Amino acid sequence: MSNAQLEIQLIASIVAIACAIPGTFLVLRKMAMISDAISHSILPGIVIGFFITQDLNSPLLILLAALTGIITVVLVEYIQKTGLVKEDTAIGLVFPTLFSAGVILIAKNANDVHLDVDAVLLGELAFAPFDRMVISGADVGPKSLWIIGSILIITIALLFTFFKELKVSTFDVGLAASLGFSPAVIHYGLMTVSSITTVGAFDAVGAILVVALMIAPPATAYLLTTNLKKMLLYSVGFGVFSAISGYWLAHGLDASISGSITTMLGIIFLLVYLFAPNKGVIAVLYREKQQRTEVLLLTFLLHLKNHTDERERHVNHLNEHINWQKVRSKTVLDLALKNNMIKFNKNIVSLTEKGDAFTSQAIDYIITNEDAQIEDMKDDFFLFRG
Amino acid sequence: MNIKEYIELLFTDYTLRTITLGTAILGAVTGMLGSFAVLRKQSLLGDAISHAALPGIAIAFLLTGTKDSNILLIGALVSGLIGTFWIRGIVKKTHLKSDTALGLILSLFFGFGMLLLTFIQKQPNANQAGLDKYLFGQAATLVESDVWLMALVSGICLLVLLFFWKEFKILLFDADYTKTLGFNTKFIDVLITSFIVLAIVLGLQTVGVVLMSAMLLAPAAAARQWTNKLSTMVFLAALFGAFSGVFGTAISATQNNLSTGPVIVIIAGVFVLFSFVFSPSRGLLFKQIRFIKNRRDLQLHKTLTFMFHIAEDHDNISHPHAIKILNNFHGYTRGTLQKLEKKNFVKLDGNMWSLTEEGYKTASNLYNQQNKTNE
Repeated sequence: MSNAQLEIQLIASIVAIACAIPGTFLVLRKMAMISDAISHSILPGIVIGFFITQDLNSPLLILLAALTGIITVVLVEYIQKTGLVKEDTAIGLVFPTLFSAGVILIAKNANDVHLDVDAVLLGELAFAPFDRMVISGADVGPKSLWIIGSILIITIALLFTFFKELKVSTFDVGLAASLGFSPAVIHYGLMTVSSITTVGAFDAVGAILVVALMIAPPATAYLLTTNLKKMLLYSVGFGVFSAISGYWLAHGLDASISGSITTMLGIIFLLVYLFAPNKGVIAVLYREKQQRTEVLLLTFLLHLKNHTDERERHVNHLNEHINWQKVRSKTVLDLALKNNMIKFNKNIVSLTEKGDAFTSQAIDYIITNEDAQIEDMKDDFFLFRG
Repeated sequence: MNIKEYIELLFTDYTLRTITLGTAILGAVTGMLGSFAVLRKQSLLGDAISHAALPGIAIAFLLTGTKDSNILLIGALVSGLIGTFWIRGIVKKTHLKSDTALGLILSLFFGFGMLLLTFIQKQPNANQAGLDKYLFGQAATLVESDVWLMALVSGICLLVLLFFWKEFKILLFDADYTKTLGFNTKFIDVLITSFIVLAIVLGLQTVGVVLMSAMLLAPAAAARQWTNKLSTMVFLAALFGAFSGVFGTAISATQNNLSTGPVIVIIAGVFVLFSFVFSPSRGLLFKQIRFIKNRRDLQLHKTLTFMFHIAEDHDNISHPHAIKILNNFHGYTRGTLQKLEKKNFVKLDGNMWSLTEEGYKTASNLYNQQNKTNE
């Protein structure tokens, strides 16, 4: 592994961490699309900043571009406040217009600007190590490493200082306000950090990867945990893992690094989305099926309790009466038998003592409108779940 | 070049005519379907889908090896639809919110598309150049067959829209009611979403992935300000969209170095801004004017009520009083007094004022009405 390769992976990992931290809060505050809007609308800021400074890495340019990001947020909020359109429409109107303005600015000055839209949107991580930072003649490393590194340090410092405030205002705005933390200050603080991170990262990894790194790791982490600290840690972990594995994927395929990192993020999200315990799609589908069977079982037991007449409790009659398919009836009967809820006597079904106790208690809960209690009761009675 | 020359050129020049027609049709159809996206609060879906279409284009090229725009568009359509339904799956099956789902699909699909595009570029195949026009769109690459395709798709959209108008409308405003009426809401929902995806995919070649969402939203958001009626809104949105297309093409054709997509978006943005400010019923300008007028009316009423209370204490309601006593009253100005005189509520005589019969009646009714509304 060469020095340049190591530096690329280092930059990618640091960008991933710097993005995951504000991204976690954006996802929790339901503002994920704001990061997409910011990443597009900083373009005119970058262009104007470039006209002034003639240097893509100057701090002034980063500040100007971050300012455009904040202007975007303010504009979106202003349009939303007029009540003329909904918030999502406001976002969808503001950023393409600002982006178009940026594209036109570039096109009009194409001859004397060494900047093109592809580079801003897509970035090229492979070139990042060639732009060196030189302090009094000594080479101290790639410029973008320094930029994104200092942004990361500031972000982490802010995170530790204001963790409590961020946490409270994210989950309960009213409480935060009543405790004396201004939600507006925290909101705009978060927006500023997101803007600066986006700008600082764009030239290394491109605007789209910034969005992916801000949203995908926290969203993946959110499927695994509901603890804020764990979510932050998982996000950082997913981000760094995809940054490094994405680099080697790009190396193998000889394709764009930012594209590969995003693809790795996508694969990780897909896996977690499908297989996450409790919240993954397969777990949810399984739980839904289980609940469906258990509701059927309850209906069946109630039916048995209601009818003492032997004719009503004959197996064939049950099939006709409740109108279930063969397979479904078999599943429910099997489950009831396994849990010792029913017993057979010459094809006549009757409740066991346990079944009777379960059903009486269930009826109690249903009558008193405490259906939610039935879930807990299931844990006490069921040896096997549906 | 003046306007007359430009119009002449429009009819004689093949490229200009094709592009103008293409962008006009595109604007009309996206405006039409965008109205539904905006009203269904799916505004950002357009952004997500247009990004999600990119891997489809790349895969279609990898599989077929042709650059035929129809085949690439089918790829885009398929991948756009997969993206849309995945977004629904995420929102429905997990606790992630719709904004996170949109952002996820948008960035992940786009990144994957970029991976494929760069992968294709490294392939030893000279045919691959020009795929990246789908990123930012190049209206200049439109040819007559593209315009025909657009016209055909727009025609189908229009037919479906007319045919299912009632269903779309009722689903839009009251989904639960639609279900109780026995309509297959899932089918209607999928139908309208698929057509929105189709419209977006159609525009990729012209305005590109990034700006497509504005094409979908801006005409609809502008049209929304002028009417509360769905049919009028759809019609207006189509009109605004078409005009943005025509004007945008005209401006970018007459200037050097201006790509069509961004100019169309800016023009559509101007339409939105104009509508936000100048729409008679919802616009900011008239809202402000109404606000000021209401405040004036309120002050006028306050002055009148104050006068009424003074006059009430006298047997003769037209007994003259000095203007001076009004001086410290909040809301009193010389202007309001003159206005009251114009309405024939008071009579002015030098430094004295007196309430007329009509003024007394209005003032007492005003009081009653206020009481009534308070109750």
